[in-house]
Amino acid sequence: MKTLCTPLEHVNRRLLLKGALTTAAGGALMNWGGLFNSDAMAKEVKKQGKHCILIWLQGGCSQFETFDMKVGRPTGGPFREISTNVAGARVCELMPGIAQKMDKLTVIRSMRTSQVDHGGGTYSMHTGWTRTPAVRFPEIGAIVAKYCGDVESNLPSFIKIGSGGGGAGLLGPQYDSFALDRDGGLPRNSASRFPAEQELRRHRLRNFVENQFAQDRSAEPIRVHQEAYDRARRLNNVRDRFELDAEWAKSRNNYGNSKIGRRMMTAARLVEAGVAFVEVRHTDYDFHGDNFEGHKALVPPMEHAWAALLEDLEARGLLDDTLVVWMGEIGRTPKINNRCGRDHYVRSWSTALAGGGVKGGLVYGESDKDGVDVKENKVTEGDLFATIYTALGVDPKTENFAGVRPIPLAQFGHRVVKDILI
Amino acid sequence: MTPILSLRVVQRLEVGHRCDFYTNSRLFRRRKLGALAMINRPFLLAVVAVCLIQSTSPGAEALRDTIHRHVDEAWKKNNVTPAPLTSDSEFVRRVYLDLLGVIPSYEEAVAFLDDAGSDKREKLVETLLADPRFGVHQSDVWDMVYFGRNPPGYGTNKRDGFKNWLRDQFNQNISYKKWAGDILRAEGNTVEQGVPMFFVQYKNAHEDATQAITQQFLGVQLQCARCHDHPFDKWSQLDFYGMAAFVARLQVVDVGKKKLTTFAIGEKNLGDVLFTGPASQQEVGQKGEPVKPKFLGGELLVEPELPKDVKDPRNFPSGKMPPKPKFSRKDQLAKWITSSNNPYFARAVANRIWGQFMGKGIVDPVDNLSGDNPASHPELLEAMTKSLVEHDFDLKWLIQEIVNSKPYQLASLGTVEDTNPGWFERARFRPLSAEELLESWVLATGYDDVLEASGKKPKSRFDVGAPWVYMKKYFGSPNDGVGNFQGGMHEHFYLNNGEIHQLISEGKGGLFEVLSKSEKPWEKRVEQLYLSVLSRHPNPKETKHFAEHLRAEGDLRNRLKEAIWALMTCSEFRFNH
Amino acid sequence: MQIKEPVQRWQLLFEGDWATSVVFLGGSRRIAAGNKLGEIFVWELPENPPGQSKAEKKDSEPPDFAPVRRLDGHTNGISQLRASSDGKTLISAGLDHTIRIWDVDASASGTEIVVVDQKNRERKARSKSSEEKEKILNAPGTQVETVAATHILKGHNGWIFSLGISADGKRLISGDDSSLSIVWDLTTKKEISRWRGHNHTWVRSAALSPDGKTAFTGEYGGKRDNFDIPAAQASLWNCEDGSLKLDLLKLWTPKVKDEARTDSYSYLTVWVKLLGRGLVCASFSPDGKILAVGQGGEGGGKIHLVDVESGKILRTLVGHRLGACDVTFSSDNQYVLSSGRDTTVRIWQVADGKEVAVLTKPLGAKYKDWMHSVAVSPNQEMVAAADIAGLVHVWQLKS
Repeated sequence: MKTLCTPLEHVNRRLLLKGALTTAAGGALMNWGGLFNSDAMAKEVKKQGKHCILIWLQGGCSQFETFDMKVGRPTGGPFREISTNVAGARVCELMPGIAQKMDKLTVIRSMRTSQVDHGGGTYSMHTGWTRTPAVRFPEIGAIVAKYCGDVESNLPSFIKIGSGGGGAGLLGPQYDSFALDRDGGLPRNSASRFPAEQELRRHRLRNFVENQFAQDRSAEPIRVHQEAYDRARRLNNVRDRFELDAEWAKSRNNYGNSKIGRRMMTAARLVEAGVAFVEVRHTDYDFHGDNFEGHKALVPPMEHAWAALLEDLEARGLLDDTLVVWMGEIGRTPKINNRCGRDHYVRSWSTALAGGGVKGGLVYGESDKDGVDVKENKVTEGDLFATIYTALGVDPKTENFAGVRPIPLAQFGHRVVKDILI
Repeated sequence: MTPILSLRVVQRLEVGHRCDFYTNSRLFRRRKLGALAMINRPFLLAVVAVCLIQSTSPGAEALRDTIHRHVDEAWKKNNVTPAPLTSDSEFVRRVYLDLLGVIPSYEEAVAFLDDAGSDKREKLVETLLADPRFGVHQSDVWDMVYFGRNPPGYGTNKRDGFKNWLRDQFNQNISYKKWAGDILRAEGNTVEQGVPMFFVQYKNAHEDATQAITQQFLGVQLQCARCHDHPFDKWSQLDFYGMAAFVARLQVVDVGKKKLTTFAIGEKNLGDVLFTGPASQQEVGQKGEPVKPKFLGGELLVEPELPKDVKDPRNFPSGKMPPKPKFSRKDQLAKWITSSNNPYFARAVANRIWGQFMGKGIVDPVDNLSGDNPASHPELLEAMTKSLVEHDFDLKWLIQEIVNSKPYQLASLGTVEDTNPGWFERARFRPLSAEELLESWVLATGYDDVLEASGKKPKSRFDVGAPWVYMKKYFGSPNDGVGNFQGGMHEHFYLNNGEIHQLISEGKGGLFEVLSKSEKPWEKRVEQLYLSVLSRHPNPKETKHFAEHLRAEGDLRNRLKEAIWALMTCSEFRFNH
Repeated sequence: MQIKEPVQRWQLLFEGDWATSVVFLGGSRRIAAGNKLGEIFVWELPENPPGQSKAEKKDSEPPDFAPVRRLDGHTNGISQLRASSDGKTLISAGLDHTIRIWDVDASASGTEIVVVDQKNRERKARSKSSEEKEKILNAPGTQVETVAATHILKGHNGWIFSLGISADGKRLISGDDSSLSIVWDLTTKKEISRWRGHNHTWVRSAALSPDGKTAFTGEYGGKRDNFDIPAAQASLWNCEDGSLKLDLLKLWTPKVKDEARTDSYSYLTVWVKLLGRGLVCASFSPDGKILAVGQGGEGGGKIHLVDVESGKILRTLVGHRLGACDVTFSSDNQYVLSSGRDTTVRIWQVADGKEVAVLTKPLGAKYKDWMHSVAVSPNQEMVAAADIAGLVHVWQLKS
């Protein structure tokens, strides 16, 4: 006769190992605030392997207003360059913070991708593949959750902040994102509607029902269903991990008093808590009109927060194990249109990586004098994703299945850009 | 033909092809099959011969018995102990869900359980097959096959025309041969006739359409052969493009006159695939000939010579039905696919229907009838295929036979862990679809009665108890890429904290109201609760436990809701078993 | 000002893509215009185009005429030009954070041959034979005198978006992208006062009352984040000490509580109706009684006529299909002229708000680009507008 042990017993044992307190009723109370700063906690996080933070620039940030300046050319625009802490490397004057972090960055200026619209570009720059009806490709967060995530953790392995869509595709809904809204609010229905006592009472009743059913049955879906229920429920134990007002009060000056600043700080705290993958979205860079004023408004708070994020991760000893990816779905045209804007462009644009697995202080690839084409070392979606997975210690050739069809993580024919990897 | 086919299958098993992607257990099973087949080859041939003779002579064995016989033989050969026959309560719930897509109501469950007739199961199946909800549910199932949750193409999300048409095919018991052909012929428009919606998905994507058609209608997976000769199956790029040529001339035409989006499929007189042969066969400086239509594994299509002055518009003008071409390649494709002689068509659908009710196809995956993918019960598949053809592709008949067979009616008990046991020695487990879940919850809680009593009506069939978009997203595709069930976190957010609680309404006519107002002792009410939600009587332990829960001091309102909730969200409800 | 069948007399070419500003220098035939490269050219137009009598051949392109001077110094685009009423002093503000003061008649520091019609040449050469192509493309350029600025005013650390001048030419106001505004004394070249507006906004428009005592600033900040949009502002200030005289936006939205003015989501829907995507142009009437302000961006370009004393909106001129770019008054106080992103220059009656003339066809047709700046000659006979295709259009109002 099979009885499922109550999930509470599982949870308690694990919590005791982690040194948490328990309430009289058997529920768990994590003293997380204290644990953040303990060496034991930090070591635990390091042992868990790699993390990844994706800074997603919705709409397509202009390479001409960030890393690929063409000052004085007809395609250049009114911004000027400033020097950085890497000799010979210059960035847009809108990024003074990042200019002092160039020694941590690998900037790729030779991106050459295939999807020029938002939908197609967002898909291909999240999955590394072009959309096809036959296969549901998983997005990068789901992949990192599967190969780098900690199954034992009460926290989800894949969190999105202010970003939607995507999906774990053929990896299965277990690896779907836990999506916080743009203000860090928890997903729909993730909070218990009932007081703890009532919730526990109905939990016990449900356990009884499940045990009755599982008594004489061994089919796998019963176990899967129960585990998923537990996992969702365990989130109640860690809800306070997402209440970061106090943390924000401490960090606001570093990250800049902006919403993107707060989102990036949230990402740093979640990574510190052991989450494998966090995606932070900043929107909307799609400046078909008034491009310069648009970037003037959006880039400074973003880059300030990004520089603070790198600083923060390094100070807490997490940067070597965290890959910070910075990209959007498309670049912008060299030609300035008659709305004072730039349109979509994917023949030559820029992304950037920092942290675990990649060299810092490197500007990889080049575009021509007007930014119309890649001059050398082009990097496609497949190349970029293969490189990212390799940096995270995951073999890009690893296969999952869509029906009978083996699907590697990165596109066929990908090239791992070894020059930028440590 | 059949004995030769079997021989070939047997030979392949002996050779034992490389199959990296199969799990070790599958490999082991295949080798075992092969070994056994070697030993029993003459016996096998004899059995097959006997089958042939038996199925064509009067007083022949009913298919349901043939099914039992073959499955039983395999159990014996492989030393597998099947589960016992299922209880009436498990049966009634299972068959309602499989045929109508919804659990039985309290009254329906009680009526069946109390019926003392010895042939009540057969009678129930007959009744359900005649129920109009049968067509609605099968339409949902096949809609998933043809469109999935997120079909490509503009305008494919609203496909009531297609789904209503498909429902009618099932309820009027139109032969599959006819309605599959209708889909491929794609005549009419997407609002009135519905069928053209299939091709609307593949606007300007003839290769994608080819992949879909061969997979869904023929059970052949050609997608690898799109870009290179298939790595291990026999198909080449020329085979792929030979099939793609049939649909290369199709165009999606917007024929809507008013606000309603309406499409039709036009076919041009001219046009070919943009493929002339694999790179290795190209000659330098020579402009190759585009691949002509060729039936898969068969002959080139014979096409009449068209007059020299035949011309096509670049795009068919919108707003009116496109003209028919002088010679339609797609109609030829439809004719060939749905012919009784087509070597794949009947076999594919027989296997698919088997898989729908038994958990996995005799060939698994259900749409990969590759030579390299062996059948677990090859003779059974041949027998089913042959019978289906003889019954003119009457799917209702086939379903009736399968559902009335002993293997279908096994219990879900036992120590076997596989979700879909390969020897069919235990009932399969399948997660209820989002549609089934919602309709069953609504029925169990009496929510539609509550709505009616309060004068409200849901906006559409599924906009009840949560936005359908949300339900579809989190319950719509609960499987990974190879079909394993995975419970996502978000499913449980909904189940634990979501609008499901709205369905457990206190309103007039709902289950909550009925139970709380009833004057019967709690034990009786618990029984009604179990019959309403899980379609069975509770065992004594359950009765006691629930009665205690409901009798306890204070907070009866929430306790009763919790009791309903626990039964609605547990595994027993979540799956069909 | 008299308007009767206005006709375009000139279409002056000068490269540098975006012509950003244009002013008349004292008379109706002396024009200065600046572009996004930071170049300022001066033209001295003849009475009639050479070889042509007045108003001949209306349908062919108006003739070009070469500039005579180029004012050098700015290293980034010009945002605004202002001139003294005698036309002798020109003031420019730019994206290079500086304001430069020019003596228009100063002796040249040199001469240079410049090609100001490169794009035009390429267009003409396209359909010609290679021989003719060479001839056109390599034709000699124009000789211009180059002049340097007499003074550079430094005080800003960001893009200077806006510039305003008092009627007597003695005071100047400039506003930048850190919401800083500075009032300058042009005789001493020193600051009189400075103030900062709201956080995260840019001073998109600034104007001085004719007596130089009151200043208007229009602020707008663009999107910083999702829903983190600072409210645009419209304010009147005292020039002597930089104190706030009237918060016009507050005056125009009396029903909104003070706390709600920082709620960028709900407040946004309120102020957008009045300020559009910010007020990007402003001008006081010559008698100082009325202030004209225009909405920018890609919404509608409404122009409000505001009573300076009370701050109330007297009437609103509705016509521009996209945002307005520039606004100015005729010297007789009767008319307002505005130019906009819909490629039109419109003339309105101040008294009743009626639109009396549109100098171009809206969007498409012959003019494809924003009319970025508009100016009226002191004698009210000529109107000039600079568009972002690199052209300066000059019309005669009475043919």
